[in-house]
Amino acid sequence: MNIKDSSKAWQEGIAKSITFIVTKDCQLACKYCYLVGKNEKERMTWEVAKKAIDYILDCEEDFREESVVWDFIGGEPFLEIDLIDKICDYLKIEMYRRDHHWFNSYRFSFSTNGINYDSEKVQRFIQKNREHLSIGITIDGTELKHDLNRVYKHSGAGSYKDVVRNIPLWLEQFSDASTKVTISSADIPYIKESVLHLYSLGIKEVNINCVFEDVWREGDDALFEEQLVQLADAIIDGDYYTDYTCSFFSESIGKPMDPVRDNNNWCGAGRMLAVDAAGNFYPCTRFAGYSLRSKKPIIIGNIDDGIDSNKLRPFLTLNRMAQSSQECIDCEVASGCAWCQGENYDAADTNTVYQRATAICKMHKARVRANNYYWNKLFRKLELAGRRDEYEKQKQKVKEPIC
Amino acid sequence: MLTYLIILLDDTSVSFCHYPVPEKERRLIALDDLKAGVLFAMKENLNVQFVYPDYELPTAYTEIIDSIDHTDIVPKRLGVETDVIVMKGWDDDVPEDCMCILHTTRQQLADNLQRVETLLSKISRLNIVLTDVETFKDEDIDSYKKTLGSLSDSIVKLYQNGKNVQLNLLTDRMMLNKMNNCGAGNTSVTLAPNGKFYVCPAFYYDNEADSIGDLKSGLDIKNKQLYQLDYAPICSHCDAWQCKRCIWLNQKTTLEVNTPSHQQCVLAHIERNASRELLNNIRDYGTFLPEQEEICEINYLDPFDNKDKWL
Repeated sequence: MNIKDSSKAWQEGIAKSITFIVTKDCQLACKYCYLVGKNEKERMTWEVAKKAIDYILDCEEDFREESVVWDFIGGEPFLEIDLIDKICDYLKIEMYRRDHHWFNSYRFSFSTNGINYDSEKVQRFIQKNREHLSIGITIDGTELKHDLNRVYKHSGAGSYKDVVRNIPLWLEQFSDASTKVTISSADIPYIKESVLHLYSLGIKEVNINCVFEDVWREGDDALFEEQLVQLADAIIDGDYYTDYTCSFFSESIGKPMDPVRDNNNWCGAGRMLAVDAAGNFYPCTRFAGYSLRSKKPIIIGNIDDGIDSNKLRPFLTLNRMAQSSQECIDCEVASGCAWCQGENYDAADTNTVYQRATAICKMHKARVRANNYYWNKLFRKLELAGRRDEYEKQKQKVKEPIC
Repeated sequence: MLTYLIILLDDTSVSFCHYPVPEKERRLIALDDLKAGVLFAMKENLNVQFVYPDYELPTAYTEIIDSIDHTDIVPKRLGVETDVIVMKGWDDDVPEDCMCILHTTRQQLADNLQRVETLLSKISRLNIVLTDVETFKDEDIDSYKKTLGSLSDSIVKLYQNGKNVQLNLLTDRMMLNKMNNCGAGNTSVTLAPNGKFYVCPAFYYDNEADSIGDLKSGLDIKNKQLYQLDYAPICSHCDAWQCKRCIWLNQKTTLEVNTPSHQQCVLAHIERNASRELLNNIRDYGTFLPEQEEICEINYLDPFDNKDKWL
């Protein structure tokens, strides 16, 4: 028996994540999308992409991480597959030519809506870069749940059918692939059936999280808890826990946190780098103008002048205590309560990344209660079956994924 | 805890810190706002610091100012004897035993070392405000060390002659046991001529819309904790206790009030290390500040470079 652990992440902690915002356009207009400034005009040119690459590779001394994840985001990144292909070819050639320490320790990463996954150009790109590729297709669950939010921008029609047809091909090419599911208020009643539906499609790892924005209505936490309890029953009673994971359930969440020992920042903003079509650098894509509702973008440099290291200092010295309210510091179920630095900034009372947004608080507490139920039920089942010791022996330390 | 209220009497009031005063028309604070500011200070138990323009105030104003215990910060050009004089450029003609503030660039300082020694021999305290912190480069480290080394030699000489010298860049760190720097937004706030409160005068001159309350509704400092040392990850791990830790420069250079720039940290550490040398040199001639511990030797100039040890 093997209980699946969802903590694996490529070169976690030692890889630099560098994101190209290749377009701000997307075929969809998902209702929960945090990108408030999507448009069809801001497409990255080859000249900007090349200059960004040259700057980053020229400054090898400033990027000492062992590995790199070259990440492509939109909008929908595969709308710019020609540009991406050219960027990736250039990266490979330049890393080799310069004998750069990232050569052979790199990955190209994509989060896509999956609509044109089977197109000839995308498929050719996949074949060409297969060994250095990770692709996540976002599918939100059942057709009903998916189409509730993930709709075409012009027609308003749901996109489920155009995505689900590509799932078998995707899983054939990436058998360990995972999907990312986002939960907003209207999605709560569909959580259980959606996760089980994704399992039935053959997706074994479902990474799922509630949006950080202040969208929650009265009673959402109770509904959410009820859905998770039902999901826990289904996973345990159906023996899915042996081969499938759902990131809502983790042994490490819901514990108090030590002010000194557990003082790390949750989010990786600042350790990541993003570049947009204008050639501006950001500590993460969430600080680009199209991601922000009420604040100015935080630009930390550009492809002509380089990175202003002073503007990275607040990000690189952020810790949990300095940005948390006393209520969060004293919280008895604090572990696993996540935050997004960009949303913190966007929702803050002043122009700071040092004020933690707490809109997710009641949802986290509901998750903790359901999570406690999940592990109590699972451990009891294992004990009754005489398999608890076996589980403890093979258990790996589960680490919460960082943003 | 809020302890000081700085009252800018006019839009052209002299700068006593890092910020420049923009070219502005005279705008004297309204008499009613001045009265209300003084009343606010009395009720909140605050020490008041009045910052003057370079022209004489109407009698009605001086009467209100004199109704509360206070400190005056006055431009030298006004020519009055006062608590704190702000010099405009290099000027040896200052009253004996006064406290002076001098704005200068690093180069001007290096070029006028003898004049600094003369000033120090005459006055009780000199606060030097460097106006080019932001342009400091790592290749300037040696020249700033050299400047401070020369000033340090002058101070040793003056001590030997029995003069009790205070120069913020070099003698403050010798006498401190903890951080003692910019209290903007924490221990002090500023009342501007428009009748509104600001974190400090620099925030007023930068953007009048950045107020933190007014005389009618009181103070409303959002994210107040960020002005406190405990919420400043770099500064709370630093022992350059004399550092100005200018909140306004922090905001300007790093976009966060609680995070200093590399330049501010390096300058402060060069001063800290020069203070260490100075303390050791003075002690070579006899007992000096016996209750103060030695300033230890360190191998960095920016605590940020050490962050892996405390993050």
